[in-house]
Amino acid sequence: MIFREVEDRDLVARARRKDVEAYNLLVSRWDRRVFNYLLRLVRDREDALDLSQDVFLKAYQNLAKLEDPERFGPWLYRIAHNEAFSLFRRRRPVDEPPPEAAAGPSRFRMYPLELSLTVETALNRLSSDQREAVVLKIYEGFKFEEMAEVLDCPVSTVKSRLYTALDLLKQTLAPIQTRGVE
Amino acid sequence: MSCSPFDLKDYFFGELSETECAGVREHLEGCPACREELERLEFTQAALHSVRDEEPPRRIAFVSDRVFEPRWWQVLWNSGPRLGFASAALLAAAIVFHGFGARPAPQIAGPPADAAALEARVGAEVVRRLEPALAAAVAQAEQRQSAKAAQLVDAARKDFEWQRRADRVAFEETLMLLQKKYNTLLIASSESYGGRP
Repeated sequence: MIFREVEDRDLVARARRKDVEAYNLLVSRWDRRVFNYLLRLVRDREDALDLSQDVFLKAYQNLAKLEDPERFGPWLYRIAHNEAFSLFRRRRPVDEPPPEAAAGPSRFRMYPLELSLTVETALNRLSSDQREAVVLKIYEGFKFEEMAEVLDCPVSTVKSRLYTALDLLKQTLAPIQTRGVE
Repeated sequence: MSCSPFDLKDYFFGELSETECAGVREHLEGCPACREELERLEFTQAALHSVRDEEPPRRIAFVSDRVFEPRWWQVLWNSGPRLGFASAALLAAAIVFHGFGARPAPQIAGPPADAAALEARVGAEVVRRLEPALAAAVAQAEQRQSAKAAQLVDAARKDFEWQRRADRVAFEETLMLLQKKYNTLLIASSESYGGRP
């Protein structure tokens, strides 16, 4: 008998047969990543948690639509992306502050270290599209093709957003690099 | 502005082929500006990673509750033959629309006739169609009555004939009985008178 690790596709198959425990195991594998992805996009813990719950509920209810269970991760992020931008559309005046307002310390101060605060501030100065590209590539480690799948746009658009965001981040973080970090 | 033969960001994210990467590495050895640009990219990535992941305030878990189950229409819609079902529904809707919605109302050719003339035409048509039907019905009724009367007469005649035969038999039997009594009396009287006639 050959044992192998239980993979997402196995859990997806069981969850499709109404195995809630299998789905909970799947959730436990992804909830931290999805929560942090949403947190970096919407910048509010409660919103990120509420959206995470909505994402996993919608994913459960639409598991039958997932054509390739191997692609559960990108598919899940696609749902999360839609949920986050749906929230942005509902709260656009509040969630899209002008750059000068975002230049100061974040309303949701997550980390006390100066570097973290500066990085957080620099991220907040990006547009939602640029920030999401940075989050997916730098924090979540997606390939460009996967990012294009999540964002439903061409790879060239994904690279353009990411590279523009990196140029802006470089400019913002350059003083720290010059001064050095203890 | 980078003077590298290939985009340094593509190199940084591993998007170049091995040959292209070799070209970039060779260029970096002789280009301090591009080396500095690459260092800035590396620092930016390291700085971004200084913001660490957070633990979700609450764990997300589901219980086996019908509230969380997909609705029946979601299951149906997400099932394999959903396109077939949708096509059938569209086809049914088209049939219903064609049958009830798109069918033109019956049109009366020409201008509407005068009411009296129309009534006269209807009366004449009724008479024209009613009289032959009535005559045929009467003839059929008469035929049925004649046949029934003939059957009754025949039955009465048979009954009378049978009764007449019965009376005749009874009369003959009575006559025969009287004849026997007469003969008996005649024999008895001749014996009483001693054989004298």
